[in-house]
Amino acid sequence: MLRCKHCLLPVYEREAIYDDEGNVFCCEGCKGVYRLIKHEGLSRFYRDRKWDAQEGQRGRGLFNRVDAAHFEDLVRTDEKGLKLVDLFIENIRCAACVWLNEKVLHRTRGIISARVNYATHRAQIKWDPKELSLQDILDRIISIGYRPKPYSESEHLSQQRSEIKDLLIRFGTASFLSSQLMVYTIALYAGYFQGIEQDTKLVLELIALFLTAPVVFYSGMPFIRNTLAGLRHMHFTMDALITAGALSAFIFSIYQIFIGGKVYFDTASMIITLILLGRYIEATAKGRASETLQKLGELIPKEARRVVSGVEERVEMVPVSALKIGDLIRILPGERIPIDGRVIEGETETDESLISGESMPIFRGKGDLLIGGSINLNGSILIEATKTLKETMLSGIIDAVREAQMRTPKIQRIADKVVGFFVPLILLIALATVSVYLIKGYPLHESIMVGISVLVIACPCSLGLATPLAVLIATTMTTSRGLLIKGGDVIEKVKLIDRVIFDKTGTLTLGNPTVKEVVLLDRSITEEEALHLAASLEKHSEHSIAKAIVNASRTLSMYEATDIRIMPGRGIRGTVKGREIALGNSALMKDNKLLIGEQGLSAEVYEQRGNTVVYIGWEGAVRAFFVVADVLRQEVRAMVEMLNKLRREVYVLSGDNALTTSVIASQAGISHVIAEATPQLKQEIIRKFHSEGRSTLMVGDGINDAPALTEATVGAAMAKGTDIAMESADVVIVREDLLTIPFLIRISEKTYGIIKQNIFLSFLYNITAVPLAMAGMLHPIVAAAAMAASSLCVVSNSLRIRRT
Amino acid sequence: MWTITFLIILTIVIGLGAYFLFIWSVKSGQYDDIEGPKHRMMDDED
Repeated sequence: MLRCKHCLLPVYEREAIYDDEGNVFCCEGCKGVYRLIKHEGLSRFYRDRKWDAQEGQRGRGLFNRVDAAHFEDLVRTDEKGLKLVDLFIENIRCAACVWLNEKVLHRTRGIISARVNYATHRAQIKWDPKELSLQDILDRIISIGYRPKPYSESEHLSQQRSEIKDLLIRFGTASFLSSQLMVYTIALYAGYFQGIEQDTKLVLELIALFLTAPVVFYSGMPFIRNTLAGLRHMHFTMDALITAGALSAFIFSIYQIFIGGKVYFDTASMIITLILLGRYIEATAKGRASETLQKLGELIPKEARRVVSGVEERVEMVPVSALKIGDLIRILPGERIPIDGRVIEGETETDESLISGESMPIFRGKGDLLIGGSINLNGSILIEATKTLKETMLSGIIDAVREAQMRTPKIQRIADKVVGFFVPLILLIALATVSVYLIKGYPLHESIMVGISVLVIACPCSLGLATPLAVLIATTMTTSRGLLIKGGDVIEKVKLIDRVIFDKTGTLTLGNPTVKEVVLLDRSITEEEALHLAASLEKHSEHSIAKAIVNASRTLSMYEATDIRIMPGRGIRGTVKGREIALGNSALMKDNKLLIGEQGLSAEVYEQRGNTVVYIGWEGAVRAFFVVADVLRQEVRAMVEMLNKLRREVYVLSGDNALTTSVIASQAGISHVIAEATPQLKQEIIRKFHSEGRSTLMVGDGINDAPALTEATVGAAMAKGTDIAMESADVVIVREDLLTIPFLIRISEKTYGIIKQNIFLSFLYNITAVPLAMAGMLHPIVAAAAMAASSLCVVSNSLRIRRT
Repeated sequence: MWTITFLIILTIVIGLGAYFLFIWSVKSGQYDDIEGPKHRMMDDED
C-alpha cells in the first residue's frame, strides 16, 4: 500500500492524490502542508524526522483554530516594545519537528527570534507587535500541523528545576575539587612507598585539607542537614551513612596530620562526589519525564455565553468562574459545555467519554443534566447552571486526584531499607572497637580514632550509584520502547504489583467507534455505495458515529448533500443524488415511514452484543445497516496472555454499561470485570484492593480514571488520553502499545534484582576491609581500592539490565 | 621546592578559572537543554 508523503498514513492507490513530482498524498490538506514546507525550502524535515508510520497525526487539531485570548496573560513586553511569549508546542516528536518550527517561525516577517527547547517543547518567541499579532503566530504554527498551548510552569516543576541546578553546582564543585585533590593524593601515595620529606608531606596534606573542606561542608551540606533532621527521630537514612562516612574520614585525617599518620581526604570527597552524581542522575531523569508531561488542561472553556435578557436572547461572554447557579448559558454545537447544568431548551447529543467512560454519545433533552467538560455535539442548547465552577463534577475529580496525590505512601526503597539496618550495626561495631581498645589500655583519643577508622571504611561510595544507575538504564530502555517513567521509585514499585487493572474505553479499545460490518438489505446496491451515500451525509456531523462512517468509506470525493437536518438522538436526514435519505436509529426510520423488513431483525442480535446499529434508507425502505462499535486494540489478547504468564491478575474497570464492558472483556480474554463505575468508585475499588494487601497497576486514559491512577500503586496513562490523566499517572504510554505493560513488569523485576546485587556489591568490598580498620591497620590505599572496585562492579553490573 | 610551589599555585589559578566558567555556564542556563544542541549542530544555517 502507498503511504502519504506528509502524514505517512496508508492510502489506497485509487484514492491517492499526486503532485507534479509524483509524490503521493492522502488528502488535499497533506498536499497543501507539503507544498508549504517545500516552498519555504524546508524539505529536510521529511528526511530528518523519525516518526513511526502508525503514529501519523489523524488530522488531530490540524485545522482547529487556537484562540490567542488564552495566551494574553503570558505575553511580556520588553524595553524596546517587542513582545515575548512562551508557548508549549504539542505534537513535537523529534528533532525535525523542532527544526521545522524554528525555521518556519524565523522566516515569518516580524518574528525576531524563536527558539524551541528540544526536551520541554517550549518555544520562546520574540516578535514585533507592529508587524504581526500573536494570533498570526499561532496560526502559523497550526498551519504546519502543530498545536500551540499556553506554557506555564507549575510551582512543583520550577522547584524541581532549581533543585537540579543546585545539585549540578554542588556536584560540579565536588568533582572539580576531587580531581584537584587526586593530584596531591597520588603524590602522597607515592610518598608511602618511596618515602617523602616531612615538610612536603605536610604541605600536600594541608592542601588536601583545604580542597576537601568545601566538598564536605558545601557540596555535602544537604546530607549533613538531612542527617541532623533525621537524628531527632533516631531515623537512619542513606544521608546519615554518607555524613558519618565523610565526616569521620575528614576528622580522622585531621587527627592523622597532627600525629604524622596517613590521611583519608580522598575517601571523604569521593564519597560525596559519587553520591551527588547518583542524585543528579536521578533528579534529571525524573525532571525530564515531568517536563514532557507539563501540559495544560484545556478541558474547561475559559468563557461562557451568558444569556442576559431572555426575550430576544442577548448574550455576553463572561469568565466561567463568574457563573452563578441559575445563570442561563447558550451552548453551540461543537463547543465544550462550560459547567454542570440542566437543559432548558433544545436537544442535543453529548460526548461524555472523557468524563464517564461511556463510549457512545448520549442524547440529552429538556430537563436532562449535563456534565461540564463534555462536548455538545450537534444541537444548540440553552442550559441553566446547577453548580458553580468549584462544585462541578470535573473539579471534584481534580480535587480527588490532588488529595490522592498527597496521600500516596512512598514505598521504602531498597537502599534505605538496607541502610536503616546497616547504620546502627556499623555504629555498634565502631563502639565495640573503641571499648575493646580502651579495655586493652590504649589512650582514649587513640581508641576513638580506631573506632572512627571503622566508620571511614564502612561507608560505601558506590551505594549512592547502586540504585540510580540501574534505574537510569531501565528508564532509558523503557523510553526507547515508548514508556515515559516519572520517578525512579516507579521501577522499584512495579515489581510489587499483583493486579493489573485496565480501563476500557480508549485503553483496551481504540476509544472511537469503528464500522465493523455493513449489512445490505437491498441487493441492488453495494456496500461501498451504501457507505458512500452515508458518508456524504455524515460528513456534516460532529458525532463520533458519523466520523466512524466517514472513515469507513475510504472515498474522498463525497456526493453533494443538500437539505441536511441533524436530529439529535436520532440521526441525520438530507438529499443526496436526488434521493431523500434518512440515516440513523430505528426511531428515525419509523418517523420517515421506512420499513425495516424481516431481514432487518438481525440488527437486534448485533445490538444485544453491545454494538450500535445505524440504518440507512430512502423511498419507503431501509436499504442497509451499519454495525458500529468501539473495537479492541489488536495487541490486547497477546498482552493479557503475557500478563497471565507473569502471574498478574487482570481486571477491567469501566464506567461504561455492563453489556458493552463484558463483551469487550470476553474478547480480550479477561475474566474479572467491573462495570458502571464512577470515577470515585474506581478510586474506591483500587483502595479496597490495597486494603486486601494487593498492589495495583492501573492503566487508563480519561479524566474518569485520574483519581484511580493516582490511588493505584502505579498508574499508567495513555498518551492520547487527557492531560489530567497523564499528570496523575506515574507512567505514560507514549506509543499506544499495550505490550509495553508486560515489558515494564519484566524490566522492573530484572532491575529490582540488579539493584539488590548492586547494593550487596557496594557493601562487600568495604565490609571486608572493616576487620583491617578494627585491627588499626587501615591504609588509604585499601580505602581507595575498595572504593574503585565496588564502583566498577556496580557500573558493570547495572549494564546487564540492557540484556533484557 | 620553588618549582612545586609555582606549579601548585598555577594549577589552582587555572582550576579556579575553569570552575568559575562552569558556575557561570550553569547559572546562564547552558545546561537547560542538553538534548537540542546535538541536533541543532547538523543544521546548515542559511
